[in-house]
Amino acid sequence: MTVVLEGDIIRLRGDCPVADAEALVARLQEAPGRAVDLTGAGMLHTAVVQVLLALQPQVVGPAGHPFVDRWIAPLLPMHRSG
Amino acid sequence: MDELLAQFLIEGRELLQQASEDLLALEREGHSPARLDSAFRAVHTLKGSVGLFDLAPMGKALHAAEDVLDAVRGQRVDAGSGFLDPVLACLGACEAWLDAFERHGVLPPSAVEKGRQLEAALRGCMPGAEVPGLDGPVPALPTDWAAALAATQAEAVAAAQGAGMTVTALRYLPDADCFFLGDDPLALMRGLPELVALRIEPRSPWPPAAEFSPFTCNLMLEALSTAPEEEIRRVFRFVPDQITLVELPASAIATTTVALDGAGEASARVLRVDAARIDRLLDVVGEMMVAKNALASLAARVGAIDAGLGRALADNQAAMERLAGEMHRTVIGLRMVPLSQTFRRFPRLMRETAAELGKPIDFQIHGDEVEADKAVVEGLFQPLLHLLRNAVDHGIEAAPRRAAAAKPATGQVTLRASRRGDQILVMVADDGAGLDPAALRAAALRRGLLTPAAISALDDAAALDLVFAPGFSTASTVTALSGRGVGMDAVRTAVEDLGGRVSLSSVPGGGTTVQLVLPRATVVTTVLVIRVGEERFGIPIEAVVESLRLPVAMIQPIGGGEAFVSRGRTLPLLRLADLLGLPPRPRQGTVARLLVVRCGDQPVGIEVDGFSERMDLLLRPMSGLLSGMAGLSGSALMADGRVLLVLDVPELVG
Repeated sequence: MTVVLEGDIIRLRGDCPVADAEALVARLQEAPGRAVDLTGAGMLHTAVVQVLLALQPQVVGPAGHPFVDRWIAPLLPMHRSG
Repeated sequence: MDELLAQFLIEGRELLQQASEDLLALEREGHSPARLDSAFRAVHTLKGSVGLFDLAPMGKALHAAEDVLDAVRGQRVDAGSGFLDPVLACLGACEAWLDAFERHGVLPPSAVEKGRQLEAALRGCMPGAEVPGLDGPVPALPTDWAAALAATQAEAVAAAQGAGMTVTALRYLPDADCFFLGDDPLALMRGLPELVALRIEPRSPWPPAAEFSPFTCNLMLEALSTAPEEEIRRVFRFVPDQITLVELPASAIATTTVALDGAGEASARVLRVDAARIDRLLDVVGEMMVAKNALASLAARVGAIDAGLGRALADNQAAMERLAGEMHRTVIGLRMVPLSQTFRRFPRLMRETAAELGKPIDFQIHGDEVEADKAVVEGLFQPLLHLLRNAVDHGIEAAPRRAAAAKPATGQVTLRASRRGDQILVMVADDGAGLDPAALRAAALRRGLLTPAAISALDDAAALDLVFAPGFSTASTVTALSGRGVGMDAVRTAVEDLGGRVSLSSVPGGGTTVQLVLPRATVVTTVLVIRVGEERFGIPIEAVVESLRLPVAMIQPIGGGEAFVSRGRTLPLLRLADLLGLPPRPRQGTVARLLVVRCGDQPVGIEVDGFSERMDLLLRPMSGLLSGMAGLSGSALMADGRVLLVLDVPELVG
């Protein structure tokens, strides 16, 4: 389980494979307004990134993976926690 | 302004102009695949760069226009089907939007609705509902996206290219079902060596959140890398058909354009330079001219000590003088642009005006290759637009009146330019009803512009000149186009601000011709501002040899006048207040301020009450009542809106 709901925050943990995209969409569609925390996330599959781009949830960073933090995070509505 | 935005505004206007010209040529000359392609490319390119800014309504309208043009190219829409009007309307709206965007940084609130109307009108030209799907056509010109991508990362690209590296742009369009096939496009991107930039965009707009499906890949990935092309290809070796690679030319984001002439043989390199840089160059050359002036008197002083050395210095000074003059002329020449830069905008606007007023017009332009200073060429747009619209609106008669006068149904409006020495002549002529001096006299009387006696004393030419009086308009109806309080007086003011004159001639029943005479170049004069009492005047700096502060005790009365000794020579001293006929005032304090100026060969001291700054001014010749006054070389508007009179010192000294 790499998509974990804690209150209004969806935490992504470790590397997120393609299957996580569906879980993430479900978590975001059932309650719009939830934020997605990338601080504990590893590399994200393209399908997961596509969910973030399409649904535009508030994203909490910095992202745990350097590639995501450097190249993907700037494309997202990012809130850096520290 | 942001450099990218500035560049976008320039290119955007050029692309709109190009598309307009192509479409008007299509209308005039019939079907031409080359013109159609050119218009399509211009609209397509513009649409591509619009996306970099917050211009969504413009992007959508242009997208629709692009689709229409593409359909005409592909013969899915008949070329004779009236697609021109909505496309031209779209181009016109885009031009207005660019102006608004430049001024305010945002589009007006009305843009959304206007954009929707344009889009609907354009889509109305299309057969059925032709909507590009997910696998719709990939944009035809791959280098556009590469240039746009490079522009977003201008600094990184410039840095890499500056370091001698080749930058390659990559566009990767993964298959919609690539996730099922086990592809992870971002993992490939992560494997790309020497990544400089990464952009991810949806290929078609995102659906509402509730309808989003995570299984279909709707992404387009673009990247810049400094890795060798074969290394990039190796990373994408399993999806070679889904990527496009373009090597960025070193000048991808520079502003150099290469223009080919019509014959396609000789090519001219065109360098686009910010006008402000040319003006800075002109400033420096101006300062050099002034610095060089000091050399002449230095040569004379050296000559008094050592004749041989003095001659050598004088020869050198003469060479410098010649070179500085040539340099000045060359730099002035850099600002010369053809009138076509302004004139080319009129055909589309005249077409709109004619359509709006329901008057068929044949509009001709002659002499648009004549060159003039950029400021003059640009400054002519508003006054000429007003004159041309006036010609259609008030000049050309409605159809019944033309028929009654046995004139052709199509009205003739001509814009003609020619060069006359250092001036250009621009004429706007129509074959309309002309102006009736008697009607003008009557109107002036009605509006109380002049006394009845003054009006009856006007000859016909002077009566025609009444149209330039502020607030004067002979139009019986006010149309949306002209007559909204911006009348011929505004035209005259605009032309005079450019240093020109405007006059009008008319044949009742035969038409009206408005003639503009303008300087080819606006001449900037550097003046020293001086004070006499409370008045300030300018003196051209070329005339000034030096400025001095002299103890009053050193001024000697000689004969009826005064003199002083400077550098071993006795020079006459004149007071500027006396020369100007101002009331005499006693000297204040113990130090006199004076300028040594050249009058013929003889330096003369001119006493003033104070010096202040040096200024570069656009000198306007004296007009009206002041034109006969001796000792004035012109007037100039200062930054604070006051008028500064510039003195002609040699004439003043007499």
